[in-house]
Amino acid sequence: MAMNAFLLVLYAVAGVAYAVQFARRTFGSSRAATVLLVLAAFAHTFVIGMETMRVGHVPFSSATSAILMFVWLLALSYLYVELTTGERAMGVFILPLLVALQAIPAFSTVNEPRSTILESPWFGVHVSSLLFAYASFALAGVLGITYVLQFKEIKAKDLGFFYDRLPSLNTLDEMNLRAVKIGWLFLTFGLITGGIWASQLPSAGSAAASMSLADPKIFIAVLCWAVYSFELYVQRIGWRGRRAAWFSAVGFGIVLLNFVAVSYFFTTSHNF
Amino acid sequence: MQLLLVGVSHRTAPIELRERLDFSARGVDRALSALAGTGAQHEATIVSTCNRVELYVGCDEPENTRAAIEQFLAEFHDIPGDQLAPHIYTKTGQEAVAHLFRVAAGLDSLVMGEPQILGQVKDAFGVASQLGSTGPLLNRLFHSAFAAGKRVRTETALSEGAVSVSYAAVELARKIFGNLKGRTVLVLGAGEMGKLTALHMQAQGIGRLIITSRTAAHATALAESIGGTAILWDSMTSGLVEADILITATGASAPIISGALISQTMKARRQRPLFIIDIAVPRDVEADAGDLEQVFLYNIDDLQAVVQENISKRGTEAFDAEKIIAQEVGKFIGWLNSRSAVPTIVALRQRFESVRQSELRRLEPKLSSLPPEARARVEEVTRLIMEKLLINPTEQLKAISDADTVATYSDALNRLFGLANDETEEGSLTTAGAPRSTKKRGQ
Repeated sequence: MAMNAFLLVLYAVAGVAYAVQFARRTFGSSRAATVLLVLAAFAHTFVIGMETMRVGHVPFSSATSAILMFVWLLALSYLYVELTTGERAMGVFILPLLVALQAIPAFSTVNEPRSTILESPWFGVHVSSLLFAYASFALAGVLGITYVLQFKEIKAKDLGFFYDRLPSLNTLDEMNLRAVKIGWLFLTFGLITGGIWASQLPSAGSAAASMSLADPKIFIAVLCWAVYSFELYVQRIGWRGRRAAWFSAVGFGIVLLNFVAVSYFFTTSHNF
Repeated sequence: MQLLLVGVSHRTAPIELRERLDFSARGVDRALSALAGTGAQHEATIVSTCNRVELYVGCDEPENTRAAIEQFLAEFHDIPGDQLAPHIYTKTGQEAVAHLFRVAAGLDSLVMGEPQILGQVKDAFGVASQLGSTGPLLNRLFHSAFAAGKRVRTETALSEGAVSVSYAAVELARKIFGNLKGRTVLVLGAGEMGKLTALHMQAQGIGRLIITSRTAAHATALAESIGGTAILWDSMTSGLVEADILITATGASAPIISGALISQTMKARRQRPLFIIDIAVPRDVEADAGDLEQVFLYNIDDLQAVVQENISKRGTEAFDAEKIIAQEVGKFIGWLNSRSAVPTIVALRQRFESVRQSELRRLEPKLSSLPPEARARVEEVTRLIMEKLLINPTEQLKAISDADTVATYSDALNRLFGLANDETEEGSLTTAGAPRSTKKRGQ
C-alpha cells in the first residue's frame, strides 16, 4: 500500500537523522531528528485517520493493521518520553524497530476483516490496551539494552562510545521500571478484557473454542505477564539495575515473537 | 589604527615571574589608568590570570608602543626590564587576533579546553570597557573572541571529559546516579585527597557527607571545616549501609575494606548501587569488591586512566577547534579590512555634500523668490539624488574584505573625485566639476 510505503520512507529518514545526532550530538542534528520523527508520526496519524474513515472502524483487526497501529503508538510513546525527559539517546534504538515493523505493512496488503464477533466493544478495549502495553514494553526493552551497554562500559572501566552519549544508569533504571509498570497495567487490563470478550462469544462458535491457553498467542501473552510480574516483584528485594534491564530486554523479545512471528505463522483464528 | 598584543604566559615565563606580573593584586583598573597615562595607545584591555598577562592595545605605531608597554610593565611591577624582556612575546594584526581567539577558546590554556578562561577574558574586557579604555577596534575584537570561544564550546568536545582525578570521580558518580542531590557520601580518611574529592561532591549538592578516620579528632576537624558529620571508625559499617558513594583515602598499609564486608552491606542496602572511589595508595579496598553486582569500584589508577583518555580526546578535538578559530579570525580580519574603507566613504560623502551645498548657494538668488515649500522641495530632491548616487559605492566598499582591494578602490576614488584635498578645503568649492589636483594621500 502506497501510504504505508511512504510512512516507511519517513521513518527511515528520521532513523538516519537519529543516527546522525547520536554520533554528532550537536544541537542542530538533534533538533532535525525530533522534527523529522514528529512529521512521520503526524503523517502516520493522518494515514490511520483515513483508513478509519474508509473501513468505518479503527483498523486493528488484522495482524498487519495491528502492526501499523503499534508502530504509531510506539512512535507517539517514544516522542512523549523524549519531549518530557529531553533524552534523545534511545531514539537511535527505537527508530530501527519502527522501520523494521513498518516494513511489514509497507510490503503487504492490508485487508481489514470484520467478522461479527469483532464488533464487541470489549474487543476494541482488549486490542488497544495490549498494543499500548507492547509499546511500553518496547520502550522498556530498549532502556534495558542501553542500561546493559552502559553498565558494561562502567564496570569494565572502559568509558567510551555509550558512556559519552547515554543518560545515567539511575535514570535508565527508573525509566525502565516506569515503562514496565505502565505496560504491566495495560497488559493485565488487556488480558482481562480479552477474557470477558471471549466468554461473551457464542460458545458453539469455532473461534471461541480456540480462545484457551492452548492458543499459542494467549499462552505467550500470559507468559509475558508472568515475566513482567516477576520483574516488578523482585525489584522490591533489590533486583534493580542490570537484572531488571535483562528482564525488560528478554520480555520484549517474547512480546515481539508473539506479536509478529506467532501472529503470522502459528495461529489461525487469533491473528491480531 | 593597528592591533598590538604584548604578553607573558605559562608558555614563556615561570610561575615566579607570572605571579609578580599578575595585575589582579593591585587592580586591573589602576593598571589601565596608569597605562592610559603613558599615552602610547588609543585603546587597551588587560587580560590577567594566574597563567597569563596580556595587553591588547590599538595604536598607531606598534614598534614604539611595544617599547612603551614593556617599559610600563617593568615599572608598574618594579621588575628590571632586562629580566622581563626574554619572556615577553608580541604579536600584531592577524596573529594577535588569532592568539586572543585561541585563548578565549581554551586552546592556549595549561589544561587544554579549560572552561574558566572564557569568563576571565569576558571579565577583563568588562573592566576595560567600564573604564572607557576600549574603542571600536577592541570592542569588535573581544566580542568576536567571545563568539569564537562559544562556537568552540558548542561545536566541539574540547571542554568535555574530566581532566583531573577528583573531577573524573564526580563525572562517574553522575553517570551512575544521575543527579547527586540528596545522595550520601562517606569519606574514609581525613587527608588532603579525600577532602578535595569530598569538596567536589559537595559542589554537586549532595545530601549528606559523613567522615570517619582512625583518629576521631581528624575526622571531626575535617567535618567542621567542610561541613559534614563525623562518625566513629567503629561505626563505619552503618555509614556504609547509608552511603551511595564511598571515598577511601587513608594511609593504611593494607586494604581495610574487604570484598566480604561490602558484600554483607550490599544486602543491608537492598542492593542499591554503591560507587567506591579508592584514591588511597596503597589501596584501601580489596579488588574483589568490584566484582559484586551494583558495586562500581574505581581506584586511583583507573581514574588516572580515564583522565589520560580524556586528555587525548581533547587533543583530537583541538584540531576541529583550530578550524573554527581560523574561520572566525578570517571573519574578523574581513571586518577590519572593510573598516579601512571608512575614511574614503566619509570623504566621498563630504565631497558630494559640499558640491550640493555650493550649488545651492550659487543658485540662492534665483531660489529666494520661491515659496518656502518649493525651496524645501529643492533641498530634499538634491539630497535624495546625492544619497541615491552614494548607496551603491558605499555598499560595495564596505563589502570588500581584502586589504589590497580596499586600497586600490580607495586610491581610484581619491583620484576620480579628488578626495585628497577635500577634508582640508571643505567649503572652499565654488563650482562643481572644476578640475582639481589629484594628489595621492599617504596611507
